[in-house]
Amino acid sequence: MVNTEVDFWEKRRQAALAAYETGKLPYIQRFHYQDWTLFDETQPLASDSGLLDQALLKTDPQQIKIVQFGKSTILIQVPEKLLQAGLIVCDLKTALKEHPDLIEKYYMTQVIKPDENKLLSYHAAFCEAGLVIYVPAKMELAEPIEVELVGDATRKQPWLHHLLLIAGANSSLKFVQHLSTIGEQPQIANLVAEVVAGPNSHIEFSSLDEVGKNTTLYFNRRANLDADSHLEWNCAFMNDADSIGDVCSELVGQGSYGYSKAIAVTAGDEQMAVNNLVINRGRHTTGLINQRGVLLDNSKLIFNGIGQIVHGASGSKADQKNRVLMMSDNAHGDANPLLLIDENDVVAAHAASVGPVDPVQMNYLMSRGIPYPKAERMVIHGFLDAVLSGMPKGMVRDRMLTILERKLIHGQRQRFSEV
Amino acid sequence: MAVLEVKDLHVEVVDQEKKISKEILKGVNLTVKTGEIHAIMGPNGTGKSTLSETIMGNPRYHVTSGQILLNGENIVGMPVDERARKGLFLAMQYPAEVPGVTNTEFLRAAINARRPKDNPVPIREFLQELDKNMDLLDMKQSMTERYLNEGFSGGEKKRNEILQMLMIKPSFGILDEIDSGLDIDALRVVARGVNAMRGDNFGALMITHYQRLLDYIVPDVVHVMMGGKVVKDGGPDLAKKLEDEGYAGLRDELGLDIELVDEN
Ligand SMILES: Nc1ncnc2c1ncn2[C@@H]1O[C@H](COP(=O)(O)OP(=O)(O)O)[C@@H](O)[C@H]1O
Ligand SMILES: [Mg+2]
Repeated sequence: MVNTEVDFWEKRRQAALAAYETGKLPYIQRFHYQDWTLFDETQPLASDSGLLDQALLKTDPQQIKIVQFGKSTILIQVPEKLLQAGLIVCDLKTALKEHPDLIEKYYMTQVIKPDENKLLSYHAAFCEAGLVIYVPAKMELAEPIEVELVGDATRKQPWLHHLLLIAGANSSLKFVQHLSTIGEQPQIANLVAEVVAGPNSHIEFSSLDEVGKNTTLYFNRRANLDADSHLEWNCAFMNDADSIGDVCSELVGQGSYGYSKAIAVTAGDEQMAVNNLVINRGRHTTGLINQRGVLLDNSKLIFNGIGQIVHGASGSKADQKNRVLMMSDNAHGDANPLLLIDENDVVAAHAASVGPVDPVQMNYLMSRGIPYPKAERMVIHGFLDAVLSGMPKGMVRDRMLTILERKLIHGQRQRFSEV
Repeated sequence: MAVLEVKDLHVEVVDQEKKISKEILKGVNLTVKTGEIHAIMGPNGTGKSTLSETIMGNPRYHVTSGQILLNGENIVGMPVDERARKGLFLAMQYPAEVPGVTNTEFLRAAINARRPKDNPVPIREFLQELDKNMDLLDMKQSMTERYLNEGFSGGEKKRNEILQMLMIKPSFGILDEIDSGLDIDALRVVARGVNAMRGDNFGALMITHYQRLLDYIVPDVVHVMMGGKVVKDGGPDLAKKLEDEGYAGLRDELGLDIELVDEN
């Protein structure tokens, strides 16, 4: 980054660059992606906000809203009252200038480390764009923080973005992000989100991922949970892009609770693999995973649910459910639950299923006159509801429902003459 | 006037565990016209649900011979949704649960399936009709936003089936043991719903194990089914007689060689 005052930053990037050169790609169970293009060392250019759908920029003054396009920050709106109460919302560049202490303390130091794998080293060495949000202790945000992250694929250039979300003790917040792209150029995206959940904080993190077809996406979302904190992930993977990534909750503090919900709808030739991890480290922690996938056309989707209870995490609970609906004979899907348990005094369970839509439900809806395609979409909506209903009401949620309907109808057109 | 005719209907099901098919219906004959209420009584396991599911078009039941005619058109082989749109309705003995789909959403989809794509039912009109019918069935307003049948008690499920029938207004309602598991108060409410449908444009085929329901919804015709066939037709008296003498009594009187699942 241009700011030469920040010494530690340059040093870290040099170290990351070295790690990047020798680093290895992460292993993903039952998924081959090693021949994908996932690195691009060119410098992205600034993006022109005129290309954005202007509806994205609409806000009301009560709202916290951020719009970033490629490496450019287009909008940051935060009610003055909250700024005065200590809320920090700024892009990464500004954070380095104005809050270097926060970056030095939290940026890829505690939650995610640069040397874990080659994709993260690359991220640490090259990423210049990002968003830093610091919610001070005891602050309770009534309205969700809404973030639009738009990749600029109007040129061939990498899209790197880093989100650092820090929730102080006893704070509570809802965070909603929407990832999308503009343009059709081939692009790599490498998007990392780190969440620091302070003691007794309450966080609901929702994400709608709608990354375009010619992008290849790597994402990593991870949270460290302090004592008695509560975190829910609601991830809706509705990309057209091929993608791999992790969603991870580290239940470090005693009594912390993490619930990771994810849905994915894959279509066309799309390929996706997600590791959904919850790691019980502290005592009396609760880690839940609920993943549901819908596969259309020739797509491939691997859902790995990984629940780990480390030695010493007594009185903890891990539970996971993985379900995949196969809507096409040409699709390949797998829901792999994995429980790694190193402690005796725990409760752990898992369930996994792969199959077609439930014929009993279908028959019931159709017996009321609802045609097959519509009934199928209703059953699928219902199937995905475990996650859909977790997203706060608003523009992003509406958008999600629209994309879902569009994807399902598109998939059905391949199979039925009339939809 | 609409007519539903079942002619010499033979039906098989494939036993999921044993992977063999067995014949359940062995030549059923029946004619129901709008304006009429028919009751079908019969012992457990005799094929009453099989008959109703087959008329409705559940793909698990295979018609091996015979016909089902709706206004003269043979509907065997027609998909279930099309039969529904042509005026058939089945209140199921065991309605499916569909988590994630609300009652309201479901009802609107069912009603709109009967209307042109570009002319969905106006929301106000829909809600007024829904309120009216829920009042009639003593249903709580909160039922509308609950997920379809999910976690409903037995009685709530039955009411919900009748609610759907009131909203959809079919020509023929097939009611499969709508009385089972209901206490007297709930039974009265459900009967009120069915009786509200009574009229020249509605015919019903009520399936029941007990005569009790017929005190509340008085049928024009009673059929008795045993061993996969209709063995006797009559008026409401026939139901009373059965109540007194039991199915075994009627079987012996008719000299039938049928084993009853639970002799009563
Ligand atoms: N879907 C099915 N699969 C296998 N056997 C069935 C199925 N439905 C019904 N049967 C069998 O058919 C017979 C008649 O059942 P049913 O029609 O439910 O009788 P009823 O409603 O008169 O009690 C029973 O022996 C039952 O076990
Ligand atoms: Mg039955």
